[in-house]
Amino acid sequence: MLSNIFRGGIHIPNPYPVKNPKIVKVPPPEKAVLILQQKVGGQAKPCVEVGDKVLTGQVIAGTSSQYCVPIHASISGTISAIDKQPIPHPSGIDAMCITIESDGKDKWVEKEECGADFLSCKPEQIIDKIRSAGIVGMGGAGFPTHIKVSSVKNANTLVVNATECEPGIMCDDSLMQNYPREIIRGTEILLHACSAKKAIIAIEDDKQEAFNSLLMYNHNDKITIQRIPTKYTSGADKLLIKSLLDVEVPAGKHPSDIGVLCHNVGTVKAIHDAVIDGRPLVSRIVTVTGSGVEDPKNYEARLGTSFASVVSQSKPNKQKHKIRMGGMMMGVDVNSDQYSICKITNCIFINNFEPEPQVNECIRCSSCNQVCPINLLPQQLYWSSKSESIDKALEYNLDNCIECGCCSYVCPSNIPLVDYFVFAKAVNKKQINDAERADIARQRFEYREFRIERNMSERAEMMAKKKKALKEKMAKEKQQKDKIADAIQRVSKSKENKDA
Amino acid sequence: MLDSILIFSILTLILGLILGYAAIKFRIEGNPLVNQIDKILPQTQCGQCNYPGCRPYAEALAKGEAQINQCPPGGQDGADELADLLGVEQIPLNTEHGETKEPMVAVVDEQVCIGCTLCIQACPVDAFVGSSKVMTTVIAKECTGCELCIPVCPVDCIDMVEIQPTLGTYIPNIKDIAHA
Repeated sequence: MLSNIFRGGIHIPNPYPVKNPKIVKVPPPEKAVLILQQKVGGQAKPCVEVGDKVLTGQVIAGTSSQYCVPIHASISGTISAIDKQPIPHPSGIDAMCITIESDGKDKWVEKEECGADFLSCKPEQIIDKIRSAGIVGMGGAGFPTHIKVSSVKNANTLVVNATECEPGIMCDDSLMQNYPREIIRGTEILLHACSAKKAIIAIEDDKQEAFNSLLMYNHNDKITIQRIPTKYTSGADKLLIKSLLDVEVPAGKHPSDIGVLCHNVGTVKAIHDAVIDGRPLVSRIVTVTGSGVEDPKNYEARLGTSFASVVSQSKPNKQKHKIRMGGMMMGVDVNSDQYSICKITNCIFINNFEPEPQVNECIRCSSCNQVCPINLLPQQLYWSSKSESIDKALEYNLDNCIECGCCSYVCPSNIPLVDYFVFAKAVNKKQINDAERADIARQRFEYREFRIERNMSERAEMMAKKKKALKEKMAKEKQQKDKIADAIQRVSKSKENKDA
Repeated sequence: MLDSILIFSILTLILGLILGYAAIKFRIEGNPLVNQIDKILPQTQCGQCNYPGCRPYAEALAKGEAQINQCPPGGQDGADELADLLGVEQIPLNTEHGETKEPMVAVVDEQVCIGCTLCIQACPVDAFVGSSKVMTTVIAKECTGCELCIPVCPVDCIDMVEIQPTLGTYIPNIKDIAHA
């Protein structure tokens, strides 16, 4: 067991454990709504039109930037709409989505299989396969995987994050119990792609079955399976690296900067599917849990399936519910169960509706300071965020906050501390954005002034030149005229002389 | 006595030379205060302050010829920041110069545009793309929302629209957080 575990964090027992590790396959839905907006990397560009027939796994939206990954049809059928629809996001802003009406056949496109012989593929080919399979970080962050793999130079360690980021979520646990062979193979593929020397699969010590099943299939001496103490936020990549390797990733840097690559176990399974089976990312495992369902379970659902059709299989009770996408700590509260599952939907919490606890004044107990896993001072951050003094908050390292929610969880006054930090971060982002815009405007204004002045001086110069040329020409003409007049005079004079 | 005079004269000479060199080497071009003021101004280049742009206004402020409350796009916050920088008292914005509005962007109704290029000439930041007798459009990223193109358009085909928040620029409402 590890001794250098990070400071802070909290231990929360799983409130609604899923007893049966079996993954229930949800049949392909009648209608799939696929979001084009990526959490990181902009928006994919649709390459189909309304009315087009598509097959499962077919690319329906292409990439718009290097960070973007393509989107694949998750069912076969007809494109019925390409428009703005509500998505599970705290802002409630609609985003572009593609809707597919199923034809009920679930017919796949022809898959380009690599087979078991991935070692003969070059790392670039594997990275390209990862990109074209549309894989993003499945732990919830949604960072494009191909960027992560290709950004790391001289990787020394590959960390597979199997810690299950938050209490309540069980999807990674069931994934490991059901697909241990695929996960080990996926790790091998990643090892080959990033040419790291070793890989560590990190599992929290409360997942004994998952640990055992991975151990049974691991025959590669480059791969170790490491148990770490169960403590919330141990799944945050920088903290996980600290626990496993006892190195700290400097503030403002990524794990890749110190030669460590960290991937979620779900991502590793998706990489296996993409490289070995040629199967793009069209489904994912979702935990449905909470006080509002009788039968919390893990489901494998196609992307674009509505929350409601998955939740209905977990026997929800008749009470009014509070729905949350993601975990109980870092998830997003949503107001309806009609949203669709996307690549980062690891969990759907269905809780019985309870009134929000009364928010009181901060009593300066500093419990938040003690639980913060990255040693920030949430209390100080709270004062400066609340008064919108963003500069002050930045001095207290606001941008290092991982929004884990430990501080809000322990606050005896029920202050939603993290919400304040999210707010302050958004304001800071706007300020940076505005400053950038102002800089562009200043540059363009100054260039325009310079250009107008330059044009004026050029024009004046040209006019002066023309004037000079004209004057010279006129002087020349005058000379010529004078010469002619002289000659005429001479001739007439000589004529007069002759006459005389 | 004599040697102390000698030591101090040499010392003075050396230090004088260093100071003289530094004055040439680290000479600051222009008035640094103008740059500081210009940094606070929103760079809308709208001319509502009665100066032909943000920098001319900054120059006038540095000379003490203008008031700090003449910039509506900067808002009250901007005016207060200027007061702090210049060490003068905070005063409310002068409404004669216009009112503070939400950030806007110009949008051309391309069906109506006749390609007269008047807006291209009026735009202080070259945010228009077009040429004579062809359709003109706005580079939204570069438009400052100064509205200088509105009065010059002969067919009234330019509209100012509020910039809508996107998923990337969304800011939660702090009042909702406080009452949660």
